[in-house]
Amino acid sequence: MVAINLTVNGTPHHLDVEPRWLLADVLRENLGLTGTHLGCEQGVCGACTVLLDARPVRSCLTLAVMADGAEIVTVEGLAQNGQLSAVQNAFWQEHALQCGFCTPGFLITATHFLSQNPHPTRAQIREALSGNLCRCTGYQNIVNAVERASAAPVQVAKAIASEDGN
Amino acid sequence: MPNTSTPFTGRPIPRMEDPHLIQGQGTYVSDIHFDHQWVMALVRSSHAHALIKDIRCGTAAKIPGVHAIVTASEYPDLKRRLPGMEPMAPPILAYDRVHYVGQPIVAILADSRYIAEDAADLVEIDYEPLPAITNAEIAARDENLLHPEFGTNVLEHFEKQSGDGVQALRTAHHVVNATLRMGRVSAQPMEPRALAAQYDPSSGELLVYHATQSVHRAQERIANLWGMDPEKVRVVAPEVGGGFGVKNGSYPEEALVTYLAKTLAQPVKWSGDRFEEFFGTYQEREQVHHVTLGFSQEGMIVALHDTYYQDNGAFAGGGMLVSQNTARNIPGPYRIPNLYIEGYTVMTNKVPQAPYRGAGRPQGHYIIERMLDRAADQLGWDRLELKMKNLVAPKDFPYATGIEGVTLDSGNYPRVFQDLLEELDIDAFRMRQSEARQQGIRLGLGVSNSVEISAGFGFEGVRFQLNPSGQILLTTGATNQGQGHRTALAQLAADALSIPMEQVTVIEGDTGRIARSIGTFGSRTIIMAGNAVRVAAQGFIDKTRAIAADLLEAHVDDVVFDNGQFFVKGVPSVSHDWKALADAWQSQSHPEWPTHEDYFSSSSATYGFGSHGVIIAVNPSTAAVRIERYVILHDSGRVVNPLLANGQVIGGAVQGLGSALYEEMLFGPDGEPLTTSFLDYRLPGANEMPDIEVYHRDYPAPSNPEGYKGVGEAGIIPSQAIMLSAVEDAFRDVGLRLDYAPITPGRLFKSLQERGENA
Ligand code: FES
Ligand code: FES
Repeated sequence: MVAINLTVNGTPHHLDVEPRWLLADVLRENLGLTGTHLGCEQGVCGACTVLLDARPVRSCLTLAVMADGAEIVTVEGLAQNGQLSAVQNAFWQEHALQCGFCTPGFLITATHFLSQNPHPTRAQIREALSGNLCRCTGYQNIVNAVERASAAPVQVAKAIASEDGN
Repeated sequence: MPNTSTPFTGRPIPRMEDPHLIQGQGTYVSDIHFDHQWVMALVRSSHAHALIKDIRCGTAAKIPGVHAIVTASEYPDLKRRLPGMEPMAPPILAYDRVHYVGQPIVAILADSRYIAEDAADLVEIDYEPLPAITNAEIAARDENLLHPEFGTNVLEHFEKQSGDGVQALRTAHHVVNATLRMGRVSAQPMEPRALAAQYDPSSGELLVYHATQSVHRAQERIANLWGMDPEKVRVVAPEVGGGFGVKNGSYPEEALVTYLAKTLAQPVKWSGDRFEEFFGTYQEREQVHHVTLGFSQEGMIVALHDTYYQDNGAFAGGGMLVSQNTARNIPGPYRIPNLYIEGYTVMTNKVPQAPYRGAGRPQGHYIIERMLDRAADQLGWDRLELKMKNLVAPKDFPYATGIEGVTLDSGNYPRVFQDLLEELDIDAFRMRQSEARQQGIRLGLGVSNSVEISAGFGFEGVRFQLNPSGQILLTTGATNQGQGHRTALAQLAADALSIPMEQVTVIEGDTGRIARSIGTFGSRTIIMAGNAVRVAAQGFIDKTRAIAADLLEAHVDDVVFDNGQFFVKGVPSVSHDWKALADAWQSQSHPEWPTHEDYFSSSSATYGFGSHGVIIAVNPSTAAVRIERYVILHDSGRVVNPLLANGQVIGGAVQGLGSALYEEMLFGPDGEPLTTSFLDYRLPGANEMPDIEVYHRDYPAPSNPEGYKGVGEAGIIPSQAIMLSAVEDAFRDVGLRLDYAPITPGRLFKSLQERGENA
């Protein structure tokens, strides 16, 4: 076992982990944050995407020991003080999810993307989402949602600022 | 206060399901954790066809944290045949022979999946390989038998005939032949299959969390298989991450998890991974058709003859239904006076087939649409005109297609198709197409018409319950895999009881909460459960009128319910709403809250309709296909929530485009699957998929009181037909003919190379 420190959604955790444990498993099993989903464990579907020091990573391809000292944001950390983030709200209004299994990964990816590119074109949105798979929606409403959230840049910027931490 | 607001039904209301899902609070089976649970991993066959000579588990058993290594020889109960796979079912664990790569042989229970997989790696199995049978037409000759005890590889051979059948081809003026193929596809919901079960030895109750589309069917299978009282088996489908048909069947993992939880009196959980979705989850589509279509001189269809073979994989299961349903869909929305269709459902050394979204609808429509295109090309007719003139017209309704139980009943197919052609502006497109061709750019147009045959059997039910403060709990046994029924059924219930939607809570998929159900598949839930809401609401209101009568000190027959209020007929000024009833009931300290459960049954199918059109651009040097425009004109019947209906249609269309352009399960000659990850089996992504335009032309279904039609499978039906059609059209001048779906970039590149069309 290796001792690591993780700050997840603003809460510090001290954990003993096996070197081979995936970050996704530690978040889900050890911290009970089951919002991060495992769709493939092959690094392709993006369902497991979390922010690691403000960058999106596939938590199925990241060992927990590699995240020692990092700030992690999962889907559970997107809403602030019980308020949905602009991206979450847009997903809801635009019917951007059906089964919801892929959704956490899309929300994290979109949140990060809009922090880098607050006024994207539709084509840029599609490109940015191309690393996440959704089997239900056909993507169109997800693209609509990201477009809608991009029209609310103030809230998005705020959500990102509070996620960045340091 | 009277509620005079507009009804909820018919409005695009965002879903009640979403707030918790978008905050990561949805509970899927993989999120369920029983204390002291043992996690299951499976050792699966690495051979498509072999005798098992020896299984050695000694070293695996020594790993700390491993609790049990389970084989059928140690636990002979596991030699039983899986239920629901008649007439040729596999044993729960293979023990003497394996019939496909991925068939489970050993189950390992350990503290974690990590440890269970470590142990699985150490299990040694000696095989004696047998020749693998991987081609259905060859298998049908029975030269080599998969299951000698079954006597043949042909699971089923059936014939369907109408009019003069094959004889009528003699009277045709023109005859067109083709052999058309569809490759194997895999549903690949984003959540892999999963189960978690806990047994309570003192009460004899087994609780099963199950990513299933049908909790009651699962309950029945489990109870029958293990000799349990169904009352003691509670099956709950929590959030399910997509189903698309493949979470509806009988699987070895269901039998294993429930058996081991019960026998070892230990909570057992299995969360499949993506490899297991490729190796162990049932697949679909693979068929070859030898078709002849005959026409009159004027281009009217005279007769269709089709002999086809479905590669069903190693065992029966739901594949036979797919094969039968293919035949039901071959006429599509076209008038075919004489039919002769025969199907062979044949076993091979591959993963078994089971219904995947569409379940024969895409296959059948692929045949008729491709044959009409082919005929037009060969006989020098216009593809669009040929389709138009053979469509069933409104004056033909009810139109019996010649296939038993399929009678088209509503809509206006030629009008909707005409509207599609106008939307696409065919003349303008043809000009643009020829201009582009001058510049070496290949544009193509594909159109396709389809009927979506939905429901048409069985029942579904709902249960209303009055709760504190006038809250209404609505329960149904139908399950959710993302369709949004909780919202749709709440809309219907709120309207039926004249209350705000927030006052309604909907719970689905729990055998502990409602006596019976069939489940969610075949685009049936809104048709069946939606109508059940109306029926049950009436019964519920009748029951609760008695409470109101008490409050009003009136005879129950004098109490009326109108606009959310109970009052004595003629005296609306003194009235009570649901909250008042609930308060009164609570003050009387009854042991239980008032409920009413009711069911809607129907054996009449519904017939939705769609005209799809696509415009593509093909790069001749790379064979890359870009979708410029995808237009759908769609008859969804009466729509409860347009957000959800369009979501189903668009989601289905994109899923279909995957199976038209990229997705195919490939197997080596030894039956080894070659596509076992998302890297090799490519799902459509956001970048290559278009924005789909959906225009409604809704005609209420005459066959059910509320006029609902299915929408879940509408989008996926025409995809393969329309995409092959469009790619051919892009190379019309060089006579490109495509007979195999999907048209992957690689396959198209080869076809173009053969014609010298790419540089
Ligand atoms: S689970 Fe990590 S990319 Fe699919
Ligand atoms: S909503 Fe089901 S996979 Fe995206």
